[in-house]
Amino acid sequence: MTETVSPAIRIVVAIILLMVVAPLVVPLLMSISDTAFIVFPPQGFTLKWYAAVLANPEARGSFLFSLELAAIVTTVSLVLGIPCAAGLTRFKVPGQDIMLGIILSPLIVPLIVTGIALLQFFSMMNFRATLLQLVIGHTVVCLPYVIRSVSASFVLANRNLEDAAAVLGAPPHVVATRIVWPQVRPGILAGGVFCFIVSFDDYPISMWLADGNHFPIPLYLYTVIERSFDPSIAAIASLMIFFALLLVLVIERVFGINLARLAS
Amino acid sequence: MAAGPVAGRFSRPAEMFWTAFSSTRHTGLFLVAPALLFLAIWFLWPVLSMIVSSFSSHSVDGVMVEGITFENYTRLFSSDLYFRILMRTVRIALLTSLCAMVFAYPLAIAIARGGPSLARLVTITILAPLLVNVVVRSYGWQTILNKAGAFAWILKQVGITSPPVLLYTEWAVLIACVHVYLPFMVMPLAAAIGRIDRTVEEAARVAGATRLKVFIRIVFPLSLPGLAVGASLVFSLSSAAYVTPQILGGNFSPLLGTLIEQQILTLNDWPFGAAISTLLIVMVLTVNLVFLNAVNRRFARWTESAR
Repeated sequence: MTETVSPAIRIVVAIILLMVVAPLVVPLLMSISDTAFIVFPPQGFTLKWYAAVLANPEARGSFLFSLELAAIVTTVSLVLGIPCAAGLTRFKVPGQDIMLGIILSPLIVPLIVTGIALLQFFSMMNFRATLLQLVIGHTVVCLPYVIRSVSASFVLANRNLEDAAAVLGAPPHVVATRIVWPQVRPGILAGGVFCFIVSFDDYPISMWLADGNHFPIPLYLYTVIERSFDPSIAAIASLMIFFALLLVLVIERVFGINLARLAS
Repeated sequence: MAAGPVAGRFSRPAEMFWTAFSSTRHTGLFLVAPALLFLAIWFLWPVLSMIVSSFSSHSVDGVMVEGITFENYTRLFSSDLYFRILMRTVRIALLTSLCAMVFAYPLAIAIARGGPSLARLVTITILAPLLVNVVVRSYGWQTILNKAGAFAWILKQVGITSPPVLLYTEWAVLIACVHVYLPFMVMPLAAAIGRIDRTVEEAARVAGATRLKVFIRIVFPLSLPGLAVGASLVFSLSSAAYVTPQILGGNFSPLLGTLIEQQILTLNDWPFGAAISTLLIVMVLTVNLVFLNAVNRRFARWTESAR
């Protein structure tokens, strides 16, 4: 008896999925409306709001800054995270459970609280370099994800292959590059991609640490939503949605990572 | 020279270094130390010192007062305004978990039991919004729930001319929170349902149980560990939500996140802000450690006796 889901469940699932995509589709419709404010259904067709957004230096600056920040954070997290994951899974470490607890603890504390704690800490130490503050704040949040993802792939890697290579006379560095590396690469890739997305989309850490010259795109979007009501916001939102779709495509096609892997 | 053709890329000192390095007693510690130190300095230390500062107070002119006080905590519970915000936060976090659970079950069943193409469609549709910024997703709900938005328009088409005002109420916050945090419920639930032995469900069906009975008696109880993980994730995330309540709740229904932001950035009352933050940590830790542990222990005992 091969039983799949019942038709009733299929219908319910279809309705829920429609509701899930609705808030992503409606801004797309609004963004082409040829009116001075937002109405549904959209009236007319224009691309002028997109032109306005793309010509806006503030929007562009914030977007590029977020990309730069996310790239730095990903690099730092991978540099710190890969050796850590290797150490935790492949070598004896004293007090392993306590260390693991410390490493994963940023995942439990609410992000907004981590942000406040860092702001208070930085001002206590008179530490004023905003970019460095943002990099540290984001890395604190991203590093545990990287370590978890990379550790998982180290655990899954087949140790017999390493032993076989060693028995056949391969020195440790050859085992590391030829046997271990190809097996853990997917975990590193997934961790890095996830880290990039978490940093790029972060609001609750940046809101405490950013300043006018270092203003990530989520903060910029928020201020625009607060102060204006014309369809140009819908256009920025749509551009962000297109960017996310592009990311899905890159993740799935170019990197060959199953999207579900990122969430696990 | 080199150990073989594959090692040709390595200079000899690097190779010798790695061979020596990878076989000492402390190799693991050396590898773990940088990340561990980074998190100890930039996470543990700041968070602990924030918790400590929540027990300090400052006088009216902003000078820190020596000694330990619980005044910041008693203020949170004795002031009617603050207590209402705390209760609203707990209420919204609980309701969000509950609603997310109701929506997540059909989706999780579709992922775990629906065959590869349906599972893939649902997974991608559920996870792709995670890549869209929370600000954008909240804004999407604003455009839907607006007076001139899609929701009002749909109601008008079916003849309801005075649609309920949802935007800038708790309802809008709840709707958007469920949408934003739903994936965190669906994924652990789908994993838990996927682990249930299909033959158990099939046996129940053969023995004459209806689909509903199978769900109530088999799928639901056996998926409880996944549900517990999902519920505590959604509760933790929504109780500390800031962006969504700000954009959809306006000034009329602030949550703890907004209160913290006001106390620190507007009123400059750091000790009180730190106290609210500490309370959030305690809430989240309670749910994650105590609740999850209790569910898992019960579940383990219960499945053991069933065998």
